Amino acid sequence: MDSLPEVQSRFAAALRGDPGAAAADVTGDGPESAGRLAIYRNNARAMFDGALERTYPVLRRRVGEDYFRQLAHGYRQLHPSRSGDLHWVGEHFSRYLAATEAGTGYEWLAELAELEWACECAFVAARESPVDPQALTGLMPDDLARARLQLQPSLHCVASSFPVLEVWRANQADGDGHAVDPSRGGQCALVSCGADGLELAEVSRTALEFARLLQSGTPLGAAVEASGLDLAELPDVLSLLFSRGLVIGVTAPAMEHHPT
Amino acid sequence: MSSSPTANSSGPVPAGAGIGLRSAHHEALVRERPAVGWIEVHTENYFHDGGPHLAALEKARELYPLSLHGVGMGLGSAGPIDRSHLARVARAVERFAPALVSEHACWGSQDGEHFNDLLPLPYTEEAALHLAARVREVQDVLGRQILIENLSCYLEFSSSRLNECEFLSAVVEHSGCGLLLDVNNAYVNSVNVGLDAHAFIDGLPAAAVQEIHLAGHARRQVGERTILLDDHGSRVPEPVWRLYERALRRFGAVPTLIEWDTHLPQLDVLADEAARAQRRLDDVHGLAA
Repeated sequence: MDSLPEVQSRFAAALRGDPGAAAADVTGDGPESAGRLAIYRNNARAMFDGALERTYPVLRRRVGEDYFRQLAHGYRQLHPSRSGDLHWVGEHFSRYLAATEAGTGYEWLAELAELEWACECAFVAARESPVDPQALTGLMPDDLARARLQLQPSLHCVASSFPVLEVWRANQADGDGHAVDPSRGGQCALVSCGADGLELAEVSRTALEFARLLQSGTPLGAAVEASGLDLAELPDVLSLLFSRGLVIGVTAPAMEHHPT
Repeated sequence: MSSSPTANSSGPVPAGAGIGLRSAHHEALVRERPAVGWIEVHTENYFHDGGPHLAALEKARELYPLSLHGVGMGLGSAGPIDRSHLARVARAVERFAPALVSEHACWGSQDGEHFNDLLPLPYTEEAALHLAARVREVQDVLGRQILIENLSCYLEFSSSRLNECEFLSAVVEHSGCGLLLDVNNAYVNSVNVGLDAHAFIDGLPAAAVQEIHLAGHARRQVGERTILLDDHGSRVPEPVWRLYERALRRFGAVPTLIEWDTHLPQLDVLADEAARAQRRLDDVHGLAA
């Protein structure tokens, strides 16, 4: 009698598309056992496709059901599920689309997928208690420049060359699904999740870079300088970060503990 | 929510009727507070570090006793147990302190690829001992007993030497787990693979059965045969209710869950279905009184 690993290996081959692999392990005549195995093969595909569809609802809506299934099929060949938790099956979809859609005129699908994956990650991330903007008041200018702002772990900074944020907005439940003019150019978005759900804010490219630098621990002054953020824009960007509860800590030199 | 605080227990699951809670019903459950005895969720849907769904379950568990029902461990897989997945289950158990924890008598992955389905095992002594060892491993990590659910099947393995009842009994004997009896699965298997559902219910170790699942199923034609698909997408059909009544006579009043995963209706439909189960449970209580 064959061992459990052998039986499961042949069953897995049948699930991957070789219907004859496990036929001899199953009772019943050939056509019937093939039909029964096909139920499992279809289930596995449906579970994968369904998870991908739940992660990329806007992309699914834009390309239609048939093409989305084609994309999911090709993606699954290269990136089968590696976890019993279906949530992560879409992790590589943006990179897959960047490769498969290159030169087709649909390169923007990869950017849309990157935005939707950022939404997915933000939606399930931890949310720390935000700090009040008062944390910055009272700091001397030098200390302010050297202050480090810790941002929510759920914050994702997404930049695109195609207006995918507008595509995303137009295809929400309350959106009209309007066609987006690609000549509008790229967009930058801060993606996070508040108590009531996802929050997407469009920001300038320099503001996005500024936020990325803050995320990486760069002090405020150095982040302004390195990002090229116009100082006139700084109050608005800080106001956005604080008002959305995206700042969870401020560390200024004066607050740091210095051993004596 | 950045840490995984240890919660107080959500309270014991009563020997009454509960409902499977899906995210589409999070808000309605808290708003409407339907008269159901308890709730059950899929463990994997609450693996994350934070987010609205986790917050919603925190609220829900304050209102109802909670059961965590895993669908992703694939405990019968021949390859190594997925320790990172088990660690996430342990974290969810610590976070939500559920009254019941359950998984399935199935496998789900091979050579690192997960099929994310509840795949059937051949009913052999080898498979039973393998599954029992894995169940023991999970119970050791969680520090508690888990329940194992009988599977719906669309085929039988020619290598099976035990019947399903003998297989599950062996898993119970060698692991010390409890059983979650899915009555719909037993009925589905009676049609799909000729299981004697009455003998199955009559033969299970009665003391091990601590939870019952009820659900609807769909029909599909495979060649000349009609196959029942365990799709959890409709009301509990009459033959399943009759089998459930037999199970209640055998096992007494056992916590019973209405599962509904596809074609999800409004919450009040689930509550109504739970009320039907509750009436049958009340009849059993009446007989016992």
